[in-house]
Amino acid sequence: MAGKLFRVDVVAPEAIVYSGDAQFISARTTEGDIGILADHEATMAALATGPVEIHDADDNVTTIGIHGGFLQIYANSVTLLTDRAEMTEGGRDEALRLAEELKEAQQRAVEASGSN
Amino acid sequence: MASAEVRQIRRRIKSVQSTMKITRAMELIATSRIAKARVRVARSQPYTDKMNEVIRNLGAGSAGLSHPLLERREVVTSGVVVVSSDRGLAGGYNSNIIRMAEHRINDLRNAGKQIRLFTVGEKARAYFSYRNFEIEQAWLGVTDTPGYGDARMIGNSILEAYETEVVDSVEVFTTRYVSALTQKPVLWPVLPIEPPEATEDEAAVGYTFEPSPEAILARLLPRYLEGTVFGILLEASASEHAARRRAMKAATENAEELVRLLTREANQARQAEITTEISEIVGGAEALSGG
Repeated sequence: MAGKLFRVDVVAPEAIVYSGDAQFISARTTEGDIGILADHEATMAALATGPVEIHDADDNVTTIGIHGGFLQIYANSVTLLTDRAEMTEGGRDEALRLAEELKEAQQRAVEASGSN
Repeated sequence: MASAEVRQIRRRIKSVQSTMKITRAMELIATSRIAKARVRVARSQPYTDKMNEVIRNLGAGSAGLSHPLLERREVVTSGVVVVSSDRGLAGGYNSNIIRMAEHRINDLRNAGKQIRLFTVGEKARAYFSYRNFEIEQAWLGVTDTPGYGDARMIGNSILEAYETEVVDSVEVFTTRYVSALTQKPVLWPVLPIEPPEATEDEAAVGYTFEPSPEAILARLLPRYLEGTVFGILLEASASEHAARRRAMKAATENAEELVRLLTREANQARQAEITTEISEIVGGAEALSGG
């Protein structure tokens, strides 16, 4: 049975990565993992490198690897604002791997721009 | 046999026609590029909106915002970023923005400020380096289809210059896409960051912050700057394609007109030739029958 639903948007600069209703999501913030159900208090958090799981109304799970960004919860609407996100079919471990890859890619980019 | 004159005109017609083929192709390409660029601008909008919303909420939820990137300091050195295109044939697109930036640079210099110049696109780089301006950093190959990575690169560079106090403010000269027919060169102050104003109803919400509002703000502002630069690049790109489309449309129309005139001239020359030939034949026959 589906629990109470709330709105989830995962927004990246070049596209909306995910948009829909969910009953539960989990994400990794700089302070630790956070699980969100409906009617969560208004929160703003910084995201770390890690997987985001979204359980939608039909109990389908979408996993997204994310590196950095922000999470805002307000009036049963959750917004994840990130400039590095990649959706995956491979579950939580795959998402974590993708997130780590995004992190490495960024570090390489920083090093590359530093050596110029 | 066509005479030398007719042949020459025909050759010119051919050359104008092949130029016309090129300008028409460029016009069509630019037209499709505008549409794509507009879509990209629209797609980046939700991110920008949400980012603004988060910053507003931060300002409302905590006791006002304070961060080095938000603070105005006395400007000794001014950073100027000029966004141009890599390729020409875009009408007044590049010259308009470059002229505006150069005016501003002269004004700032007259006011006793130092200038650090950053350029995006080959045209601005070529213009300013030819005039012996010292260019701090030049980015090439980003304006055709700017990606977020390009914005991050540019954003980080100007951020670093600002944080290390190499510059005390940053102004971006870019072209706003007003409509397909109008693109407007504008001055866009990006640093220090001017946070969006909080609205009344948002102020009431008490947020829980993880970690502190200050820490979130410190992470958020660089992203905000990148987002701003990304928006600027996307719009400049749409403007560039629109300007090129218009320039190429005008060029194609001119070529058509030229072909029309030249064809008429060729016909006239041909007709004159025939008339001369006939009168020669008639003259010859008269002479023979008379003799």
